[in-house]
Amino acid sequence: MKLKIVTFSLVLIGLLSSISQAAIQQTKGDFEDKFRQLDEVLPTPNVYRNAAGEPGHQYWQQKVDYQIKAKLDEKKRRLEATSRITYQNNSPDTLKYLWVQLDQNKFRNDSMSALTTTFGGIGNRGPATKGAAGDKPAQISIAALRKQQFEDDNELGYQIVKVTDGDDKPLQHTIVGTLMRVDLRTPLKPGKQIAFNVDFGFNIVEEDAVSARSGYEHFPDDPREGGNDIFLLAQWFPRLAAYTDYEAWTNKEFIGRGEFTLEFGDYDVELTVPADHIVSATGSLQNPKEVLTSSQRKRLKQAETADRIVFVVTEEEAKEKEKSATSKMKTWKFKAQNVRDFAWASSRKFIWDARGYQQGGDEQPLVMAMSFYPKEGGDLWKKYSTESIIHTMQVYSRFSFDYPYPVAQSVNGPVGGMEYPMITFNGPRTTLQDDGSRTYSQAEKRFLIGVVIHEVGHIYFPMIVNSDERQWTWMDEGLNSFLDGVAGREWDPSIPWGVEPRDIVDYMKSSTQVPIMTQSDSVLRLGPNAYTKPAAALNILRETILGRDLFDFAFKEYALRWKYKRPTPSDFFRTMEEASGVDLDWFWRGWFYTTDHVDISLDSVYQLRIDTRDPDIDFDRERQYEADKPMSLTDKRNREEGRTLWVDRFPDLKDFYDENDRFTVTNKERNEYQKFLHNLEDWERTAFERAVKEDKNYYVLEFSNKGGLVMPIILQLTFEDGSTEMMRIPAEIWRRTPKAVNKLIVTDKDRVLTSVAVDPHWETADVDVENNYYPRRFIPSRIEAYKSEKSDSKVRRDIMHDINTKVKTEFDDND
Amino acid sequence: MRTFSFYSLMLVATLVAANAFAHQQKAAITKVLFNPRTTNIEIMHRFYIHDAEHAVKEIIGKQADILSSAQTQQHFADYVASRFVMTDQDGNYLNLKAVGYEVDGQHFWVYQETPQSANLVGLKIQHSALQDIWSQQTNTVNIEGVGDIKTLTFEQNVELLEVTF
Repeated sequence: MKLKIVTFSLVLIGLLSSISQAAIQQTKGDFEDKFRQLDEVLPTPNVYRNAAGEPGHQYWQQKVDYQIKAKLDEKKRRLEATSRITYQNNSPDTLKYLWVQLDQNKFRNDSMSALTTTFGGIGNRGPATKGAAGDKPAQISIAALRKQQFEDDNELGYQIVKVTDGDDKPLQHTIVGTLMRVDLRTPLKPGKQIAFNVDFGFNIVEEDAVSARSGYEHFPDDPREGGNDIFLLAQWFPRLAAYTDYEAWTNKEFIGRGEFTLEFGDYDVELTVPADHIVSATGSLQNPKEVLTSSQRKRLKQAETADRIVFVVTEEEAKEKEKSATSKMKTWKFKAQNVRDFAWASSRKFIWDARGYQQGGDEQPLVMAMSFYPKEGGDLWKKYSTESIIHTMQVYSRFSFDYPYPVAQSVNGPVGGMEYPMITFNGPRTTLQDDGSRTYSQAEKRFLIGVVIHEVGHIYFPMIVNSDERQWTWMDEGLNSFLDGVAGREWDPSIPWGVEPRDIVDYMKSSTQVPIMTQSDSVLRLGPNAYTKPAAALNILRETILGRDLFDFAFKEYALRWKYKRPTPSDFFRTMEEASGVDLDWFWRGWFYTTDHVDISLDSVYQLRIDTRDPDIDFDRERQYEADKPMSLTDKRNREEGRTLWVDRFPDLKDFYDENDRFTVTNKERNEYQKFLHNLEDWERTAFERAVKEDKNYYVLEFSNKGGLVMPIILQLTFEDGSTEMMRIPAEIWRRTPKAVNKLIVTDKDRVLTSVAVDPHWETADVDVENNYYPRRFIPSRIEAYKSEKSDSKVRRDIMHDINTKVKTEFDDND
Repeated sequence: MRTFSFYSLMLVATLVAANAFAHQQKAAITKVLFNPRTTNIEIMHRFYIHDAEHAVKEIIGKQADILSSAQTQQHFADYVASRFVMTDQDGNYLNLKAVGYEVDGQHFWVYQETPQSANLVGLKIQHSALQDIWSQQTNTVNIEGVGDIKTLTFEQNVELLEVTF
């Protein structure tokens, strides 16, 4: 009996899973509807998220406020803190427990992250290992050993000291990996709030050892005995997991990729650090008189209206502080309104510069753009960090909303690039030369400008437009890479920013691509998948499919609708369609849900001419057509040999048919023509006669879609007189025959087409350019081009050497 | 009783960096093109300048400059060539001739070529450039010009990959 039941349920599961793959299938023929609407793929609209992609009329989200008092023990590199968390349940559900993220537990050696890190496996974050292969020994990097040793020597992960309710009575709590379930004494009803306390501590990880998103960096060579540290603190306090209408608790274990989504709330944070430290944090400083000198406060005030950066702490002052230490402590107090996270940095090494960004508007007329960096950041940071912050705000605000917070900061430390509300961590540095000077390369400069734009951009997406990176990495990395590309090209287009359609073709044609709509832990090649491809797709949507007006309006609408709210992919897809008025389901389907690539081939072009039906014209044309054919080779050689034809030798054999060829017109045909004209309706006759009179050129262009992705066909037509004309055919041309289409192009009689190019400006990420030309054009491979251009290409001149060449005034005969 | 068999474990120096920003990509892409016009197999390695810049400082030293020093560029091109190996289906090494290298935008390109031989029915490829410096390096190889594009991905402990036409 039992066995039967089991079998039955298995069958059911099998059935369900095949249904979930494709609810509706084409089961006859091979037609693929590339324009099939996404309605069965997208979630059903509801009162929380409507069909327009807007927050629904009953949209809700939770609110979580934090009061935290934390103390940094510099010597032990340990943080200890108390926190009081106020949780406001705005959902329609009653909650019996709350889930809290304990991201520091990722660093425990029994974490899922640690246990599932494969030896020599792919996609690991952090130091490398390499398994034995063939006759090569296995490899473990020194960095991996350092990580191992660091984890042996330091107890990592949270130490949860207590979890109590508002009356300080213990609350039952259960730690599950990087999460903690807190059981409430009484269920939390809709509309109610609850306060509870969590006291905690943890040993701060050495960022360079474990490769985290925060941690300390040690500078052993500083003059102070024992050196100095920079502390970057992020994911540093137990934070409420998001409770959402689309997924309920977002309590998925943190195994390294895809950062998080969080709840908005207000923060009141007191940070006690060594008295000679400078602290940069999410929020505005509440007690400048207690922690800053009067001259520092004066410089800050001065910076508010300055045209260029003002140093609040100069390099000399910072270097002086590097020499000694104090046992005294100071408490920096920060408040932040309506943020989804809180991060901070602390060090005595920090140089601090600031410049006010007067953005105007009602919400936040003045934003202080500030940078914090050690002498190792040097001139690179002085010159570009704060400027890049302000440039980012100017560009991003145009695409979304005014920057809504009082500060925007960039901090240099051991983290390559990470974002938090109002504060970003950025890695590039100068290099110390043997002569004691500090220099930086062109690439490091590009890196700094690029990373600051990117991370400050993240303050908009996803820190304000609160998408969930763990579920949909592209929603913050892709959107943000698209916008950082826009901002980058408005900074200096000669710097290659890497978000052009051409930058993604090698990825898109490879067979190791996964769809953009893939959960972050499962993405195979994160950079091209979650950053570059969606960025290139949006670039194409803006410049090629919608045009700037429609795109910018729709994108801004998305940002405004979801400012301080929680969008999902369907909200983005729907908003872009609703606001632009253009059906984009085919675009989302092709670019985000499949691994198709773009390869449109122009296979052939042939010309047509209208028959006039008038035998006196048509027969003559046919005669001409026949005459234009090349002569038979045998006939030609016979003539060359001077052979006399039989019919010429005996002229008496000639008859009527020698005088009148088979194209001779008789009245029989003329009568038929008149009858044809007579039988036409008036409107038919008018159209016919006009077409005959105009005698236009009719060209049929045959296209095939080799890549599978349907895209607009962008044509450049070149005519006999050298003039060109652009023609943009919407992607919908593929809707009934996605594999191949023909297009008729009609031109005036004197506009004779000589060549056609598809996508001449490389707008669509077409992977094979060679089949874009008719007649076919020889497209050299890079190697062929390199060989032919080697001698004269301008970029390969050694200008640095040639610039020293002296001008010659006299030439000898050998010159 | 010995329970485990022992293998030697080699120590390698590596750089570590955590990035939410994909600037230093630690990724290269190589096109292996069967070019019908030249009847050569053309090999075009594309590296990000930013990867190459950090790499040459490990390979050559602090003074290395991938953007403006021809010496550094040559050195890097030689290094790449030494870590890219191609054999025929039977494991016979194909002699890859160095064609050159160039900087183009954000990329550094290294070119190699070898004549196409008629009886070639498959390739074995090894591409470990930069993996000795940071093993997060991913090298993708697209083989083009013989039927559908075939992709090989060299990550971490993947040493040798094979493709048949």
